[in-house]
Amino acid sequence: MAASASPAVSVAAPALSVRRLRKAFGPVVAVDGVSLDAAPGEFLALLGPSGCGKSTLLRIVAGLVEPDGGEIVLAGEDITRVAVHRRNLGLVFQSYALFPHMTVFENVAFGLRRRSVPPAELGPRVERMLELVRLGPLGSRHPRELSGGQQQRVALARALVTEPRVLLLDEPLSNLDALLRDEMRVELKRLQERLGTTMIFVTHDQAEALILSDRVVVMEAGRVEQIGRPEEVYRRPATAFVARFLGRANFLAGTVAEAGPAATVVTLDGGGFSVVAAPRPGLVAGQRVHAVVRQEAIRLERAEDAAGRPNHFAATVVFHAFAGQAHHYVIKLADGRELEVATPGAAPPLARGSGTHVTWSPDDVILLPAGAAGPGGAR
Amino acid sequence: MRSGSGWRLLAPALVLLAVAFVAPVGMMVPTSVRPYVPLVGITGGFTARHYIRLLTDSYYLEIIGRTLALGLTVTCATLVIGYPVAFFLARTRSRGRNWLTILVVFPLMLNLVVRTFGWIALLAQNGLVNQALQALGVVDGPVKLLFNFAGLLIGLTHIFLPFMVLVLIGAIQNIPRDVEDAARVLGASWGGAFLRVTLPLSAPGILSGSILVFVLTISALVTPRLLGGPTYQVMSTLIYDEFLARLNWPAGSAQSLLLTAMVLALVYLSSRLARRTGARA
Repeated sequence: MAASASPAVSVAAPALSVRRLRKAFGPVVAVDGVSLDAAPGEFLALLGPSGCGKSTLLRIVAGLVEPDGGEIVLAGEDITRVAVHRRNLGLVFQSYALFPHMTVFENVAFGLRRRSVPPAELGPRVERMLELVRLGPLGSRHPRELSGGQQQRVALARALVTEPRVLLLDEPLSNLDALLRDEMRVELKRLQERLGTTMIFVTHDQAEALILSDRVVVMEAGRVEQIGRPEEVYRRPATAFVARFLGRANFLAGTVAEAGPAATVVTLDGGGFSVVAAPRPGLVAGQRVHAVVRQEAIRLERAEDAAGRPNHFAATVVFHAFAGQAHHYVIKLADGRELEVATPGAAPPLARGSGTHVTWSPDDVILLPAGAAGPGGAR
Repeated sequence: MRSGSGWRLLAPALVLLAVAFVAPVGMMVPTSVRPYVPLVGITGGFTARHYIRLLTDSYYLEIIGRTLALGLTVTCATLVIGYPVAFFLARTRSRGRNWLTILVVFPLMLNLVVRTFGWIALLAQNGLVNQALQALGVVDGPVKLLFNFAGLLIGLTHIFLPFMVLVLIGAIQNIPRDVEDAARVLGASWGGAFLRVTLPLSAPGILSGSILVFVLTISALVTPRLLGGPTYQVMSTLIYDEFLARLNWPAGSAQSLLLTAMVLALVYLSSRLARRTGARA
């Protein structure tokens, strides 16, 4: 496991631990031997395309789906066979799943009433939680009288008021429009920092996962592809799938020509171009690899500025689009190869058809053994 | 949509309602207050006698009470038997589902008279049910299951069960699974989640299914006539006899109007109830 949260977090026993969890629906294996740990107070994102098994994994942890094998350990206690309603977990649904026949207050009080919290304590606790999610005066409303964002906050309050040992969130923001989603992201993150609740968050939105979480678990076809801090999975993807799923990247197929202590040199197929990458142990000369370069790692420069640097090529702009915070280019190298490039939006744009030079740092080249690269990918 | 076009869309239904329901019922009102002289027929004049007799004579009160009791029991029986079936059919993903649905609807495809005669054969003194009960040693002698309340209850419950099940399936399918799951994650046992979430949310279906079955039961004619015989009367068979056997149209009209008023009152009350629960659901 790529254990890499902050030191204070990693020494503590995990709040939730999942071991070799497996679940098949008929011939379809939804969760295929997944193991992961969530440290106390950690915000863990389960990221993957739809159908990768992340939601099933969450529902197994919640107890709504019975696993075929493996175990779930909550703060040292094996809860694999514990009934749903005795697990003391919180779950926020994509659909919010509020009780339409109850007021906001009763929705939030539901979990406390099941735990026989005395009335004198119940009222203040519900009120405090409603204040915390900024719904103070709306307790007597019914869910259908609230906006999407407000319903989302009721769902959060309802799950958090019972002080669950772990809060599970299943794509909680994907039903909100873009502006509200950004707002709720900030709110969710603040709430998590304030309450210190361990949260496991399922999403298919890579930006959301990177922004919110302490660590990201990238899943594909029921398996964990990589677990790591956001920068780690973004900058050092373990597999081609992770590289493709997080951000846009150029995949350059080639052969390792030189695996030295100072640099790794890859000769690209057809054209004789070479790419210089940082040294990487485990690679040997003659091995097939993909050199992966993120679109924003590539700089467009004038010839005289770029001269003499590694990974420096003459190129022609074949496509340009302005997207506010960035310019998107497709440029063509001398061998006919096309690369996607993103440059800061503040820079003056280059016209289509104009000549330029591209360059990128050896540190920005991700080397992936070609066997793992495969033709598949996120898009 | 302009204000006039809505009425135009409703017009065919309104015309049908006026011709087939409002007009005949309205025509019964004057008839119901005419005196009736045996062997002479309907005479001129005004009398409230038919209504007074209907509401004071113990013979009629017993029939009215029996009709309402039958409606209530059949409604409860179809609800109790139908809800688990509907719940299963609404929630199962098994392949047996379609077959079970067909099985539920199947009685509707058989002729009503044929079905009722089937029950006569089953429920008779030496019918299959009595033979089975005696063979199993449950009872010593044959139990009277025909021409009494039990017979009508069994026959009408069987006939109206599909209506209840079909209405309930729709209502239960409308309840999102997530909402039940949420209740359970929040600490409610399966039964607790059912009582506090699923059942209240299926209330609209329970209400409309119950109204449907109740109204159908208290106005059913063929089944009570065949399973109740000539002497065990309910309101619909009473009205039938009054009009066609005794030719006492004024008394029959008064009885019909009372039955209609009971149905309308029930529909009105339940729609008010539905609006109140609907405001919450």
